[in-house]
Amino acid sequence: MSLVNLAHVCSHLQNASKARLGLTSIPLTNLHLRLMLGLQKQGFISSVQLGGPSPPLPEILREPEPELPQHAEEVVRERPWELYATPEPKDADALLNPRSAETVAEDAWAEVGSHGRKTSPSTTTTSSPSPDVPKNAARRRLWLGLKYWNNDPVISKMGLVSKPTKRIWLNSQDIGKIARGFEAGYVKGLTRPGECLFVSTDRGVLEARECAEKKVGGLMLCRVY
Amino acid sequence: MSRVREGAPRKKYTPEQVAAIEAGEAAVDARDLLTQGALRTDPYKLRYIDDLSTIHPWADKQPRKELDSRVDYRTKARSLRGGADLKEQPGDWEYFREWSQFLRDPKTFMHANDERAYEAMRDESGAYSALAPELPKFNTPGLRYTRGEDEDPHMVRLMQQTGLTLQEIKRVRVKNLVSHRVVNQTRMGKIQSLYYLTIAGNQNGMLGIGEGKASEPEDGQRQAMMQAIRSMKPVPRYEGRTIFGEVEGKVGATELKISARPPGFGIRCQHLIFEMARAAGISDLAARVTRARNPMNTVKAAFEALTSQKLPEDIARARGRKLVDVRKVYYGGRVY
Repeated sequence: MSLVNLAHVCSHLQNASKARLGLTSIPLTNLHLRLMLGLQKQGFISSVQLGGPSPPLPEILREPEPELPQHAEEVVRERPWELYATPEPKDADALLNPRSAETVAEDAWAEVGSHGRKTSPSTTTTSSPSPDVPKNAARRRLWLGLKYWNNDPVISKMGLVSKPTKRIWLNSQDIGKIARGFEAGYVKGLTRPGECLFVSTDRGVLEARECAEKKVGGLMLCRVY
Repeated sequence: MSRVREGAPRKKYTPEQVAAIEAGEAAVDARDLLTQGALRTDPYKLRYIDDLSTIHPWADKQPRKELDSRVDYRTKARSLRGGADLKEQPGDWEYFREWSQFLRDPKTFMHANDERAYEAMRDESGAYSALAPELPKFNTPGLRYTRGEDEDPHMVRLMQQTGLTLQEIKRVRVKNLVSHRVVNQTRMGKIQSLYYLTIAGNQNGMLGIGEGKASEPEDGQRQAMMQAIRSMKPVPRYEGRTIFGEVEGKVGATELKISARPPGFGIRCQHLIFEMARAAGISDLAARVTRARNPMNTVKAAFEALTSQKLPEDIARARGRKLVDVRKVYYGGRVY
């Protein structure tokens, strides 16, 4: 769990947002992946994809052309709403990302068999390795879609709270105080509208408000607004 | 012609008095008026000839409106207390409406420190003006009136540029915050001029800053004032009293941080930002100038910070999430 690399990621996302990039990549680690999924859940980034050194193909090109049923014209004339695909019910992780980068990453790890990670049976059985993802784990990267609104980047500031030389762990009471805008444990409160603080807990990377709600404490990672 | 018989005076006299007056008038021969009648020469004579039978709309003092005889003005307040009275007498609803309107009017209980009362005194309808109505102007070649202020070409230009009326421009709160002498060194010698930095605000969410420089003080002040009014921009205010969260501003080496505060906190910050908050109509605020404290850059940085706030609606749209303000959720929304 290198906070140095996390600091690099924070700075990189700030810089990429200032440069108005649409897509950027960061090195793939478990912590980065969890944090990016948290960011995506909070709406800071639009997509999280596993890939190699070159950007993955856009989703439109990756999906095979759907086969039209026979008498397609009649079907469209009678039931035009079928032109628009209805979303299938998915679990929470699948909703986060249409291709579920986490699943892909877990599959990738399962395939390589490194780190001694437990692999859940569902992920190992269902998915097939993507051709974009290199076999060499060191060459894998996470590709992130950045968001902009009203000519402003959605991520305007992103910075570490814990530092590599001084990590800060807080319990849920203190995190609750911070979420209400007060200072606790040398961490400034969330005073800006929509400011988020991500916490690494034993239940994954959570937002500070989620931590206060679930009454879990953990390591302060970074604040984003 | 007897004035008693016609018109209003008749009502004032009893029938006996009217009879006496008529008898007196009948006793005087009308020809005597012609032969003996003369115009008054005493100091209290009228300056014009009038038989005083009519009330002229602008030369005469207008008669007072008679009080409504059906209304008992002293007991009006008392009757409002009991709800039962209101139901019994349907006419009381009228009084209730009038009376509550009267109570709600800021002119009724006017405090010297309450700016809303002064604002209400200045209403356009003219119904409550403390001044007498202006005399009408006649289009007579012999008469010449003094030129009004709206003839000032700079002001006319400002009105055209901003689309504001003269009344609105006069209502804008303008304050000069920085002024000093600056010198340009040329080969002919030193040319000095005066620099002014002025803010303008309508105390209701608009704020502008302007700079002016001229060799004459009035000229520089006017330039700064007009530029400030022209540059007025909306300042987002949370609940009309403070700002949204925390904002930072930076101009040159001056960096500052302005933060929202709870109701009743007041404006606790240095004088320049205090004046800007007053002009913008912000009443709860804290600010900290963290690096250089150059007055001009402080004002500019504070203006930049106040006008660059991010609104929660925009953040919600940008992230595609729902943002809810929970401040007014508890205690039945009765949170002040």
